[in-house]
Formats: sequence, C-alpha cells, structure tokens
Amino acid sequence: MAGKRSKHEFRANTLPALLTVGPVTLVMVLLIAVPLIYVAVMSFCSIDEFYNVTFDFTLENYVRLANTDYLKIYAQSLIIAFLTTIICILIGYPFSYIIARTKSRKKRILYMLVIIPFWTNSLIRIYGWRTFLGSSGLLNALLIKLKIVSEPIEFLYKQGTTILGMVYCLIPFMILPLYTAIEKLDGSLLEASSDLGAKPVNTFIEVILPLTSGGIFSGSLMVFIPCLGYFFVSDILGGGNSDVIGNLIERQFQSGNNWPLGAALSIILIIVTLILVKIYQKLGGDMDSLGV
Amino acid sequence: MKRKKKAKRKKGLSFVFCALVYLFLFLPISVIVANSFNATTTKPYMSWKGFTFDWYIKLWENSSLVDAFGTTMIIAIVSTLLATVIGTLGAIGMYRYKFKGKALIDGLLYIPVVIPEIVLGISLLTIFAKINIPRGMLTLILAHVTFCIPFVIFNVRARLSGYDNSIEEASMDLGANRLVTFFEITLPVLAPGILGGALLAFTLSIDDVIISYFVYGQTKTYPLKVMESVKSGVAPDVNALSTLVLIGTILFVVLTQGDLFKKNR
Amino acid sequence: MKKKIISVVSAGALLCSMLTGCGSSAGGSGDNGELNVFVWTEYVSESAIEAFEKESGIKVNMSTYSSNEDLLAKLKSESKGAYDVILPSDYAVEYLIAQGNLEELDKDRLTNLVNIDETYLNEAYDPGNVYTVPYEGGVACIAVNTSKVDKEITSYADLFDPSLEGQIVVLDDYRAVIGMTERSMGLSMNETDPATLAEVEEKLLSLKNNIKLYDSDSPKSALISGDCSVGMVWSAEVALSMEENPDIKIVYPSDGAYVFLDNWAIPKGAKNYDNAMEFINFMLSAEAAQMNISDFPYLCPNTAALELMGEEYVNNEAKNVPAEVIESGEFVSYLDTDTLAIYDDMWTKLKQ
Repeated sequence: MAGKRSKHEFRANTLPALLTVGPVTLVMVLLIAVPLIYVAVMSFCSIDEFYNVTFDFTLENYVRLANTDYLKIYAQSLIIAFLTTIICILIGYPFSYIIARTKSRKKRILYMLVIIPFWTNSLIRIYGWRTFLGSSGLLNALLIKLKIVSEPIEFLYKQGTTILGMVYCLIPFMILPLYTAIEKLDGSLLEASSDLGAKPVNTFIEVILPLTSGGIFSGSLMVFIPCLGYFFVSDILGGGNSDVIGNLIERQFQSGNNWPLGAALSIILIIVTLILVKIYQKLGGDMDSLGV
Repeated sequence: MKRKKKAKRKKGLSFVFCALVYLFLFLPISVIVANSFNATTTKPYMSWKGFTFDWYIKLWENSSLVDAFGTTMIIAIVSTLLATVIGTLGAIGMYRYKFKGKALIDGLLYIPVVIPEIVLGISLLTIFAKINIPRGMLTLILAHVTFCIPFVIFNVRARLSGYDNSIEEASMDLGANRLVTFFEITLPVLAPGILGGALLAFTLSIDDVIISYFVYGQTKTYPLKVMESVKSGVAPDVNALSTLVLIGTILFVVLTQGDLFKKNR
Repeated sequence: MKKKIISVVSAGALLCSMLTGCGSSAGGSGDNGELNVFVWTEYVSESAIEAFEKESGIKVNMSTYSSNEDLLAKLKSESKGAYDVILPSDYAVEYLIAQGNLEELDKDRLTNLVNIDETYLNEAYDPGNVYTVPYEGGVACIAVNTSKVDKEITSYADLFDPSLEGQIVVLDDYRAVIGMTERSMGLSMNETDPATLAEVEEKLLSLKNNIKLYDSDSPKSALISGDCSVGMVWSAEVALSMEENPDIKIVYPSDGAYVFLDNWAIPKGAKNYDNAMEFINFMLSAEAAQMNISDFPYLCPNTAALELMGEEYVNNEAKNVPAEVIESGEFVSYLDTDTLAIYDDMWTKLKQ
C-alpha cells in the first residue's frame, strides 16, 4: 500500500519536478555556483615561479589589495560608476517621462528608437565615439571650420571620456525601467494633485517621484554595477588612464598572469555588488524586475 | 493666454531635449555608417578620403569577418534555444513544485543578472581551465546558455504570476493527459513571456563580448573580431558589416512590429 | 497576437537562413588541415599568410596578443594544443624553455634557415636554436612630432620633462615602460633590488602626467591622427607613422634602447606540428619575409629579404635599425615572482 502510494507520489510530483527543475539546477550549480566557489578558493592560493596556481593557503592576495594604491583605484572606479549613474538619471528621467507620457501612437516608435542603437555591437559604437572625438575627428574638424577653436581640443583619453562611454553603453538600462514605472502612473492622480492646487514642483516631489522611485532604484543598480566591470570602455576611450575594477581583474588574468590576485579582486567586486543589492532590497527594490 | 504660451514653450523645450538625447544615442551609429563608405585605405582609417562602396564588396572577400558573424549567429541561436527550453521548464517547475534547495536555485538565478560580467567570465575561465575543456564553440555556448537562462525564467515567471491553475485542472478533468495539457493549455498562455525572454537572450548573446572574451579559444565571434580590430584601427569593412546588421535589425523590427507604422491601428 | 508571433518566427527563420547561408560560403582552403597561429598584433603580414594558405592548402587561424605576458597567460589558460605556432620575444623564449613548454624544431625541414644572418642565431636565450628561429626585431624607440614639440628629445630621460604633459603615447607593456625608466636612470632593465626599485617607482610615477595614452597594438594611430605628439613605441610603428605624417621623426634613445628579437616557436603539445614546421619554413623564405617587412618594417634578420628590398630599405634607419643601436641596447630578461610583483604594483600605481 505504502509502496504504491509513494510510486504515485513519484509520478505525480517528484518526476515532473525533476524533469522541469533538473536542467536549470544542473546549469546553475555547475556553471555558476561551482565556478564562483572555485574563484573564492583560488583567491587564497599562491603562484609558483611559473605562475601556476598552487594550493597553499595565504592571505597575501588580500593584503596586497588592501594597499592604498589599490584602494584609490576602487575609489576611482566607484566615482566613475557614481557619476555615470547620476548622469543617466539626469538625462534618463526627463527623457523617459516625456516619451512615456506621449499620448499619440508615436510613443512606441519613440521607445523602439531607444533600443535600436543597442542592437549594434557595443565595441564598435564605443569606437565610433573615439573616431568622432579624436584630434582629427569630425567634432574637432567642425569646431575648427566654424572658427570656434583654432587648435583641436583634446577630448579623448580622460576620465570624462570614460564616463561618456559608460553613460552611452548603460543609459538604456536606466531608461527602460523608468519608462515602465512612469507609464504605470495614473494620470488622474496627477490631475487631482494639480486640481488641489499643488504646484507642478510639489506634484513632482510628492506624487510622481515616490511612485517612480522603484524605476530609479532598479535603473541605478543596473547602471552602477556593470560600470565597475566594463573594462573595454576605459580601454578604448580612457586610453588606460581611468581604470575601473574590471581592468584590474582583466589584467591579472591576462598580462599580469596572477590568477589568485585576480580572483581576490573578483571576490571584492562580488562583495561590493552584494552590498549594493542589499541596499537595493532595503529600499524596497524587486529583484525580478531587474531581469525583465 | 499666458498659460497656453507657457505650455507651448514647455513642449518646445521637451522636444529639443528629446532630440538631443536621440542625437546622442545615434551619433556613433552615424559615424559607423558614414565610415563604411570611407574610401580611406590606410590605418587607422579615421580621416575622410571620399565616398566608396568598395568595403561592402570587400566584405565578401574578408571571409574571416563573415565567418565570425556566422559563428555568432550559430552560438546565439543554439544558446537561445537551449536557454529558452531549460528556462521555461525551470520557471514552470519552480512555480508549481516545492522541493529542497529551491531558495538556493532562486538565489543563484540572480547572480548572472546582477554580477558584473567580468566575474562570470573569469569564473568560467578558471573552471574550464581546471577541468581542461578545450575552449571554443562548446565553452562559448555553455557560457551563453548560463547567462541567458535567468532572463528567460524571469520573463516566464512574470507571466506565470497571473496564471490561473484551474484551467489546467479543468483540462485534466476533461481527460487530457499531462503532456497534452502542457502543450495545449500551459504553453500558449506563457508564449509571450517565453518569446520575450528568448528575444532578450538572443540580444544578449549576439552582443556579448566580456564573457566570451575569457572562454573563446580559437572560435571568434563577431564582437571578439571587432575587439581585435579595435586594437589596430577598425577597418571600414567592419563598419560595413555593422551597417548591414543595423539595417537587418531595423527591417526585423518593421516586419514584426509593422502595425507601429500604420496610421490606424 | 497570434499573427504577431507568426511574423516574428518567420522573420527569425528568414534571418537564420540568410546567416547560415553566409556562414557556409566562407572558408575555401583548408584541404590540408589547419594551423592555429598566435602572434603579436600588427606584426605578421596578411598577404604572407594568404600566400602560405594558397601554397600549402592549409587554413590559418590567426589570433593576436599585445604583450609577451598576454601570450604566456593565454598559453597557460588554454588547454594544451590550442596553438601551433607562437612568436615570443627573447625573454619569453627563455621562460618557455625553462618551463619545458616548447617543442624542438626539426632543423632538417627548415631549408630557408640559410636566409638568416648568423649574428641573430645562437642567442643566449636559445643556444643552438633548438626551439626557435628569429623572425623580426627592433627597439622601443621615441617618436617626436616636430611640428608640435619644440623641445629636443634625444633620450628616454627627456620623456620625463614636465613640458611634455599629456602628450605621450607609451606602450601598454610594463616591462617596456618600467625598463625605459630604469634605462633613463642609468640602471639595467632587469633590476631586482627592492631599494633601487623604490627609486625607479618614484621616477616612473613622475611620468604619469606626461602619458596620454597606453597602446601597444597600434600606437601609430594616435601619432598619425595627432592625438599624441610624442611616443615611446616599437620602431616600426614610428617608421609607419613617418610615412603618413612627415613631421614625425624617429629618435633612438642615447641612454640605451629596449631591444627585442621575436622568434617563431611551437608550443608543447601542438596539434599540427607538421603544418607548423611548414609555416615557419615558409616565413623564413625571402618572399614571405619581404612581405612581412614591407607591411611591418622592423629590424630584419633575413638577409635574402633585405636584398630583395634593396638599398632604400637597408639605409632607412627608422626601418632597418642601425647595428650600434642594437649593440648599445639591452634585452629584457625573465624576473622572479617576487620582483615581478613589485613591477606589477608599480604598473598598477602608474595606471590608476
């Protein structure tokens, strides 16, 4: 009797559960959990004279990374990410507001126009900026022709150019959640607020902003975190002068040839990410909205 | 009267602002398109030397570039298919069944979404190196499937949250078996979520450069090929291919979202 | 809704068929197998590769790296047999041999080795050329755009002058930049003493304000476009930029240049050893070497190719680096892990 019942239980519940959740579990455990644990272990390893990883426990990698020089780069990286996020909000918010509140059917076209540029390879778009901003680039040629300047202006290879590139790469991640949040706003609520005599500024601060804060938070998270890792942007536009944490990691896995050090850097980056995600959740952010 | 004027000014202002943002978004794209017609033949291919179609013709001779594009497409299609199937099944299973370790899987799913890509890249590199899998097509597909799955799951899950279990029960009550119910009832309801997730996965896969950069071996995808050409100056044939891809995607949008452009919808 | 889905699917199918179409159309040769070649960026001529493919029927997959350290890292991280031919510099050869990571070359098949000038054979890093044969070489020299820079520059030491603020492109290669700093102080490029290196670090960091761009792959781009008016770059990069911009002048540093010689080698476990030997021998031929130095005019040990290039090349001191520059210069050698950690930290500080 009991055997029959458990067989039924197996067919009704265990088997379908296994078939549906099995594959995703396998992938997540083998290709996410195990590699990350391995990286964590590696961050406590050393290297031998030929740069092979040897498994004797050491804290040396972390000691090296606690050095003020590394701390300066983390700070620089966080500043770049912070400025990028702020700029994305300042541009993205009014922009999303305008297109989301457009009444005509032009709205969806306006929305698609935001997405289309991002179907072109991101590297080549960044390189497009380099071509445009260079000393002999189009912008300088234009400025000289218009007699605004006599000598080309040096735009490239500065921290500002890196931030420009980051904003460019990441702004859709700000615009899209904001657009969704603003679109959900109930128009009658805004009318009510203004009917009650609230100034537009007050309506904005007291009604609109709190209702769209979810979009701002998830947008900020999706801009801030990738910014710490986008090494190619600072490579192409920053000329190697404004490294982010991603550059440090990339270097240790390539020319630096010190995987344990790179692993330790990655662990630091993971910790920073986790802290940011925790803050996001504290602010009431919804994790699922990040991936949709 | 005054109010009307003010509203008009406000409208004008927001129009100018939006136009500037679109200019910002499309500026590098126009540089790419313009440079694909640049007659320059000397590195770094930056100064304008006249108009030509040569690079489009040369594109067909530069087999490595076209090859890389083909590779990208194969990887994107295979990874999207795999991620969509695994992700859809997973989303349904996790919605319906209770089991041990569910919270863990749930937590793991967020990792590829929030964690910087470079961390995912190096963690896969270290593990592939450890178990000594030759880097190439296989490792690229494994990596792409991994970071695509969560996006499929979240999209399907969003659809599931409004899903009414009773229609499935009704179907089973009427004598349909589990499989028939799945294909006839469950799947059609979830279709928009699945499709949305698959499109997102496809988009992420074709543009991925950071994760691929660490696991590609000899199999170069189109973004990696671009990365290599960025080193020594992007030749206009790369621009030409990008322009073609851009035209392709715009056509794709017009075809699929055709009703957008019709007067009466 | 349904209609929408169908149109998406059909458009997708269209796209796929279009793409698989172009995927299969490419890649004609390859009847005699493949060859995975891993070389420096901007260093081996495409036309030489094509000529080899045509002659041998072997399909060449070329990948590129930007520094010896990149090469060594890739060799370590990839599975064995990922690459068939590599092009390491002197000190990297020393390291690879010490690690037992190179295959011996079958000398009998290198019929074109006679083309190589004997002065470049039998180097200290590979006595008897058991594992490697030389390709091209050169120095890390200085490029000056005379229309923009008034100051006379004759040495590495001059690059530290504060008047050059924000004008220099340097190699994104820590051995080259730190080595250059050491030479400017009259030290060896292979210093290991921590106290001395602390002084080097101080000097190195004083260069920070002068550096505008780090680029190993194609620093000539920034020189030609005018983004940078001074460069500490590989010699052929200067030679090539001089052809585009006549204001650019080459300067061999009086404090003794960073000298390198790159060599063909086959990594241990290469899957296509025979093809690799055929490739290396082809690259030693006068014709291939001529194509290579035409595109990338470095110091060329291939005397037969130099004959083909004629007087003009041999007497062009930007291309054919003068013998005394090589003699007064220094090779980099491999450093122990502790010293390299110091170098790496210095580099990180410079680049922050």
